[in-house]
Amino acid sequence: MPKIFFATDLHGSEMCWRKFLNAGKFYDADILICGGDMTGKAIVPIVQENGHYTVTLGGETQSVEAGQVADVEAQIRRKGYYPLQMSVERLHELDQNPAKRTETFQQVMLDGVDRWMGMAAEKLRGTGIRIFVCPGNDDEMEVDDVIRRSDVVELGEGRVVEIDGWSMISTGWSNHTPWNTHREETEEKLGERIEAMASKLPDASKAIFNLHCPPFKSGLDEAPAIDADLRLLHGGRALRPVGSTAVREAIERHQPLISLHGHIHESKGAVKIGKTLSINPGSSYEEGMLMGAIVQLDAKKGIKSYQLVNG
Amino acid sequence: MADATMGAPGAGARPGLFLRNATGLVKSWSTFDAFVYSFWSVNLITLGLYGMSYAYTVPDGQVVAAILLFGLLVTFLVITYAMLVSVMPRTGGDYAWQSRVLGGGLGFVLSITGWWFTLFLWAPIYANILVVQFFSPLAYTLGWTGVATFFTSQTGIFVSCLIVLAFVSIVVTMGMETYARIQKICFWIGIAGLVVVCALLLFASPQDFQNAFNREATTLFNAKPGAYQATIDAASKTFPGSSFGTLSFGPLLLLLPWLAFYLLWPNWGATLYGEVRGAKDIRKPFWSMFAGLWVTVAMVVVVVLLIDKTIGWNFYQSANAAYWNNLFAVQGNVAPPVPIWPYPVMFAGFLVNNHLFQALLIIVMGLWFFGWAGTLFLSSTRVIFAAAFDRVLPSWAANISAKRRVPYGALVLMIVPSIVISAIYAYKPSFTSVFLDATAVLALTFFATTVAAIILPWRRKDLYQASPIANYKIAGIPTITVVGVITGLFLLFMLWEWSFNSADLYGTTFSSTPNSVYYFLATYVVAVVIYVVARVVRKRQGIDLDRIHHEIPVE
Repeated sequence: MPKIFFATDLHGSEMCWRKFLNAGKFYDADILICGGDMTGKAIVPIVQENGHYTVTLGGETQSVEAGQVADVEAQIRRKGYYPLQMSVERLHELDQNPAKRTETFQQVMLDGVDRWMGMAAEKLRGTGIRIFVCPGNDDEMEVDDVIRRSDVVELGEGRVVEIDGWSMISTGWSNHTPWNTHREETEEKLGERIEAMASKLPDASKAIFNLHCPPFKSGLDEAPAIDADLRLLHGGRALRPVGSTAVREAIERHQPLISLHGHIHESKGAVKIGKTLSINPGSSYEEGMLMGAIVQLDAKKGIKSYQLVNG
Repeated sequence: MADATMGAPGAGARPGLFLRNATGLVKSWSTFDAFVYSFWSVNLITLGLYGMSYAYTVPDGQVVAAILLFGLLVTFLVITYAMLVSVMPRTGGDYAWQSRVLGGGLGFVLSITGWWFTLFLWAPIYANILVVQFFSPLAYTLGWTGVATFFTSQTGIFVSCLIVLAFVSIVVTMGMETYARIQKICFWIGIAGLVVVCALLLFASPQDFQNAFNREATTLFNAKPGAYQATIDAASKTFPGSSFGTLSFGPLLLLLPWLAFYLLWPNWGATLYGEVRGAKDIRKPFWSMFAGLWVTVAMVVVVVLLIDKTIGWNFYQSANAAYWNNLFAVQGNVAPPVPIWPYPVMFAGFLVNNHLFQALLIIVMGLWFFGWAGTLFLSSTRVIFAAAFDRVLPSWAANISAKRRVPYGALVLMIVPSIVISAIYAYKPSFTSVFLDATAVLALTFFATTVAAIILPWRRKDLYQASPIANYKIAGIPTITVVGVITGLFLLFMLWEWSFNSADLYGTTFSSTPNSVYYFLATYVVAVVIYVVARVVRKRQGIDLDRIHHEIPVE
């Protein structure tokens, strides 16, 4: 029976992606599922001038020689940021020109995903381990095309896939957030999107719902409360449910075997919604820690066991 | 979508980072908001005055110097915890840190005893504080002697325990956002009340206070005239008297374990800092905890100086000695003329000859309790959740209700044993010594976390080197190790004194309180049994608990 390893919200952390690719062998898993938000949130400029390179990381500015740049780049990627070598002129251009920044961001993100697809092919081709990726609301639409080009990684978004007798539906779309990201829509439309896939399922009791956004008021969707200016309220102690009502309704209506979520990094947990086991393994990508869930499926029991791990 | 740049300190106007618009990029939390939480944790009125009322046991101990020294030493604890938060900012606090560095089993046993089993003992302690600082003085002031007497009875204490547990449950049910608002209101009104108390003590003379005390002792407690001197005389049978000006190092050190009762907890919210974005920035958690600690230290120094100036240090300590020695039936004790815990707020209120004002002052200062006590089980809930997610505890322990998002599993695990422990506290006086150890067991949990911090740079080199503190070094040694060693030595000193003090100053030595030893040994045994059973059961289910914190190879 298949053993699934699910992780999500890697946000450009190359260390986490490398661990994710190794998780199949490490946990003896047959199926790897990456739940979305693969791409990073920041570019760290490595500025070339006067024969050396200047970079600011973690608030500290350092100057390195050409021979050390590769190490610095690896350090930056480890945190989930994109290193980008540039001249002083290019730095100022990106600073002043939002359109250029957008264009540059897209380029480094797509290059990053392409690089990850290459690593996946190198690591997993011929191993028998299937790997699914479903970009999340923070991933630009063009990311899907990069994944489609991979002959090892399978794109999950918007379709029903069969996994050794079980079915999986996936979407990285979410309800609206204060950040107005790439894959957001109203609850109604999100509900229709999920229903379009769920209605094609042969047997919901043997289904996996891989939905990036967690169900509303599930305990998997508790995010620190913020004000209109995106400032954390009450010292960050006040938590609010920000999950999707559409996702919750879909789970309650179809009662899949298991639902896998991410999106809210702080809200790690596993809860039962009716007969469905809903999991959000959380994310700690900045530490280079791969938080994930191992789920052992069973023909009779449905779920033989599950475990949340910090790999 | 790219819409932000961030300047690099020291690099002029150059951006050091380009951010795109993405979920979760929030502006940091207000340090003041986090400070309020830390400030409540080292509550100078509830825990502070209660804990310091035992300082009479070290008559030659200079309290102000001891408070300043304690503040200095706890600052190292604050740095240690702030660094741990920045290395591993995820929820679970002590449990997560100990598990990841020391190992899952040890982490579970040490943190679960500290943050779960020991907090059962704090419910009755909170209840006792509620009685001596709120119900009892308020009832006496309003002339409701029957009510005041009831709350000092065994059933009264138990009822107070139930009130505390009900209050804590309501807070957990209403959620932290609502309670945080209530806390802020309590904070400002409580501070205003404290200003009034300080002003009363500042502008009154010692003679004013003696007259006011003698008057109210007769009016409210039917004491004979001259209760002020009678209190000192009653205490003198078991207490040699105390001089505020005496300063010697040995007694000063012996005061530290008493001060730990309230000043050891600025890191109480460390289990929560991990839940918020921005926690990786070491400055925020540090300044929140540091400010909470040192604002409290400053305030308590002011309060102590004012007590000395107006109430009289020897009288205040005599009143404490007479009260506690009478309660603990110390040989040779004489009952004080005013049979109530010496509450400096009530004493300050006596300076105004108006019972309505006095009652109002007690109510206002009661907000120091109600703005603080609600978070009693908040950290415990997080630790229980973390253990349940790790499959060490059953999954229902982390369940929350769909409608109100109440963590009923964790609440049951906290409330039910607390009711049993409260009943034992109320009706079994011989068991009281166990409650004196409540501070020591939490200190032991902190000590284990400190050990984790000391060895972190070597045990979890990957996490350490990826953290913002990797560059912080003192003489080539990681700063977290240096501050951890200082903190560890400080905690070890107090643990030694609690356990082996030759005069049994704290009522907690192993030799004099076998009940405590058996109780706490039992809690550790229970924690070990839970972990071992969990391992066996989970193994049968195909779950290897060792796997939780094993790092996946990168290459």
